[in-house]
This record gives sequence, structure tokens and C-alpha cells, in this order.
Amino acid sequence: MHASEAIAAAPLVSPPLTAEDIARSLDRSRVHHARRQNKRWRLLWLLVGPGILAMLGENDGPSMIAYASDGAQYGLGFFVPFIPVLFAMAFVCQEMCMRVGAVTHRGYGELVLQRYGRAWGWFGASDLTLTNLVTLVAEFVSIRVGLAYFHLSSGVAVALGLALVVFTLSGGRYWRWERIVLGMALFNGLFLLAAILVKPDLGALGGSLDFTPFPGGSFNTLLLLLASTIGATVTPWMIFFQQSASADKGMTPSDVRHGRYDTAVGGVLAAMFGVGALIAGAALLAHNGSGIQGFAGAGFPEALKNVAGGAAGAVFALGLIEAGAVAILTISASTAYAAGECIGVSHSFNSSPRNAVVFYAANVGVALLAAVVILIPGAPLLSIALNANVLATVLLPASLVLMVMLANDRGLMGPWANRRSTNVIGIAVIAFVGVCGAAYGIDSFLLRIHLIG
Amino acid sequence: MRTTAPVIGDRVHPATVEEELDARRKEQFEDELIMDLERDQFVAETSQPVQPAPLSARAGAALWALRVFVILVGLMVIYTFIDQLH
Repeated sequence: MHASEAIAAAPLVSPPLTAEDIARSLDRSRVHHARRQNKRWRLLWLLVGPGILAMLGENDGPSMIAYASDGAQYGLGFFVPFIPVLFAMAFVCQEMCMRVGAVTHRGYGELVLQRYGRAWGWFGASDLTLTNLVTLVAEFVSIRVGLAYFHLSSGVAVALGLALVVFTLSGGRYWRWERIVLGMALFNGLFLLAAILVKPDLGALGGSLDFTPFPGGSFNTLLLLLASTIGATVTPWMIFFQQSASADKGMTPSDVRHGRYDTAVGGVLAAMFGVGALIAGAALLAHNGSGIQGFAGAGFPEALKNVAGGAAGAVFALGLIEAGAVAILTISASTAYAAGECIGVSHSFNSSPRNAVVFYAANVGVALLAAVVILIPGAPLLSIALNANVLATVLLPASLVLMVMLANDRGLMGPWANRRSTNVIGIAVIAFVGVCGAAYGIDSFLLRIHLIG
Repeated sequence: MRTTAPVIGDRVHPATVEEELDARRKEQFEDELIMDLERDQFVAETSQPVQPAPLSARAGAALWALRVFVILVGLMVIYTFIDQLH
């Protein structure tokens, strides 16, 4: 008997099963069942999740305020069709993350660490944790701003955010965590409702689809605005999150097509709701909207109430609470994935807290730390929040480059590696987003040292 | 694994039969679970690290350029961050 025949004849040894395997397998059995019975809508329902959460999580409190600010300052014009273009670019990046996670069954942090060295792995995880911490402060402030409209205090914002983190973790299953957060994320549609309530000029809205009128102002201000907006299209936590969540969900190469649907639907919804926030903000253009000051547009809900009625203000405020809450959950999860993967311990929602101590501790700990910051009297919350995007510019180009390298790695991806056409479009998009992100950080520095501006 | 129940006198001991049935059910359950996951999805497999990537000279140079970029932009960002806090 030849060696190959002996190997073929040898019985397969099944690997030892863990509770995490059992939980994941139960989820996968439902997918197989739906596939065998050709239940297409049920299959889609079972497989959506990471893409929608990454995209709608990106519509966080500061982002929605930024869209509303653009509307308040520039009205209906360039940004209306520009926002969907941004999410189309985000789709290109996020599709690669999903595919790598589904094919390799491993998260972004652990693959970078194992394939390209500990330095890159630990740099990514550390910078992500710091950036996420700063961003989470901004999310808690967003919740606080929303609750302030209803005369509720910072303490309620902190309690609500932390309670949501603990509640979603209590299920002990990835599926349960994902479904709860997905249900919350759909309330990002409140910004679309706010847009309807302000009764926008539909003629002006239609006329803006040709990217006009172009934003006015100084060239440097415009460049900074575009760079910061484009550079925030994809944030490092989205890359870490979607790949790790796709692996945690148990996606396989046979699910890649549905993963693309999931990411595309997420992008479409996020673009619609982002445009909704912009339209709501544009209602303030003729009412000194550009003069609304204060962090996170604290004045927006009140200003909308004065211009378009109490319902518009209340809906916008509720939207800010939702945007902040969902971002806290997804960003905390991305931190937990990164921590667990880099340390090399269990990092799954399908593991119990006892078996994944680092994962659960990082998830709650980073949210708790951010919550504590906003309770500190006199904390420079505005500065901290503004710096979130600046910090991301360090990690973003590196994350994008390493992600493209992973997606092209035939040793890992086999036939699922990027095709030439994917690389042409993908690398162009990623280079553009990465350069804009870096330009924003460099421009901010040059402004600070008065070399420009 | 035992395939026949032990006989005590003229009777099969009920507790032993029950244990055997439980073991078979557990084995069948695990077999079904194994079928629902790909082999490289198991924790035992994913906990094994992948091999470092064999990088070409061009890829190695690109990563070094990225390191320099990250350090330079990182210093700028740290300065901006601290300055904005004040």
C-alpha cells in the first residue's frame, strides 16, 4: 500500500469540541437546513449581520452630527450624492474584510500578528484600543446630548450605555448579541424620519444629485472638510470588527455571496440614513444653522424643534441616542476582538465569560473607561471627541494596506484571493481613502504649528 | 467502546445500558455537530497560529515604508492631540 493510500484509508480524527464549537455549530445547522430547503429569504436572514452592523455602526453620533452640520452649513448640494459615494467606497473595503473572515475563520488582529509579525499586530491592537476609547467618549457624549433634550442627565447616559453593553453580553451566544444590536441599529432610520418631518424642498433635493452646488469657503477649509469626510469613510474598528464578526458568526466561503448582500444592504441603509441627517440639518441653513455651536451639535435637536416642530427635534434626539448606543456596542466589540486575538486567548461571543475573560473584560472595560471620562468634571470632552478622527488617521492607512495584503494572500485565501479587477478598484479606493485620511492628520498638524492656514 | 451490554446473572444491568445509550447519543450528537462546521472552524484548529507570510523583497520594502510613515504621522498626531487638549 502506498503512503497516500494509507493516509486516505486512515480514519479521520475529529478535533475535541468546545462549548464555542457547539454554539457555532448550532447556528450553522440552521444555515445548512435553510440552504438544503432552498429557503432563500430565511438564508439571507440568517446570514446578514456583520456588514449591516459595521456600516450602521459607522453612522455613529459624531458622524450623524457631522452630516447634519454639513447640511446646516452648505444646504442641499454636493454632499447629498457624495454620501452614497462614500459608502460605495466603504463597501469595497468591507467586502474584503468579510471575505477574509469567512475564508480563514480568523479575525483581522490575529492574522496580521501571525502573518506579518508581532509588531504590526500589537501596534494595530494598541492604536485601535486608544482610538476606540476616544471615539467611545464621543459616543457617550452623543447619548448625553440626545438625553439632554428630554432633560435627562449625564448619569443616565452613562448608565444606559453600560447597561446596554452588559445586557447584550449576557446572552452567551454570538447570534443573540448580533440580533439585539441589529434591532437597535435599524433605529438609525430615525434620521430619515427627521428628514421627512422637516419637509425638505424636493426640487432642491433632486437638483443636488449632480453634485451641485459645490461647497463654498476657502480652499484649505474645503480640502480639510473633504479629507476628513473621505478619511472617515472607513475607520479601523470597522476593519477589525467585520472580519472578526464574520469569523465568529461561523461564515464560510459558501456564504460569501450573502456576506456581500449583507455589506451592500448595510451600505445602502447607512447612506440613506446619513443623507437623512444631512437633510434634517439643511432645514437650519436659513436659520443660522452654521452658527450652531457646542460639541456634537448639542444645539441641533433644540434648533430643529424651533424650525420644524417638536416631533423633528425629538426624533433627531432619539436618533443621536441610538447612534451613540449602537456605536458603543460595535466599537467595544471590536476592541474585545482585537485584545483577545493579539493575546491569543478565546475571543468569541459564543464563549462564556469564564472561558473568555479577556474578551468580556475588554468589551466592558473600554466602555466603562469612556463612561468614567465623561463624568469627570471639566474633562475636555470637545477636544477629546475632535481628536478621535485625527487618531484614526495613523492607523487607517496601515490597516487598509495590511487588509489588502491579507485579501491577496493566496496562501490564506486560495481561490478566494482578490482577482485583478478587484485589486484595480480596491487598491484605488483604498489608496484614495488612506491618503485622504493621512492628509487630514497631516493638515491638522500643519495648522497647529501655523505652517498653513 | 463496549458494544454489548454486560449481563449480570440472567439480566442486563439497567444503569449500564443507560450509560451506553447516553454515550452513543453523545457520539451521534458530536458527529452531527462536526458535520455542520468546516474542519478549520474548530477552536482546536483556529487556536493554532498560521505560518508567517513569505514576503517578497518588494512587499518587505513596502512594509518598511509603511513603518516610517506610521512613525512620522504618529508623531504629528500625538503633537496635535496634546496641543488640542490644551
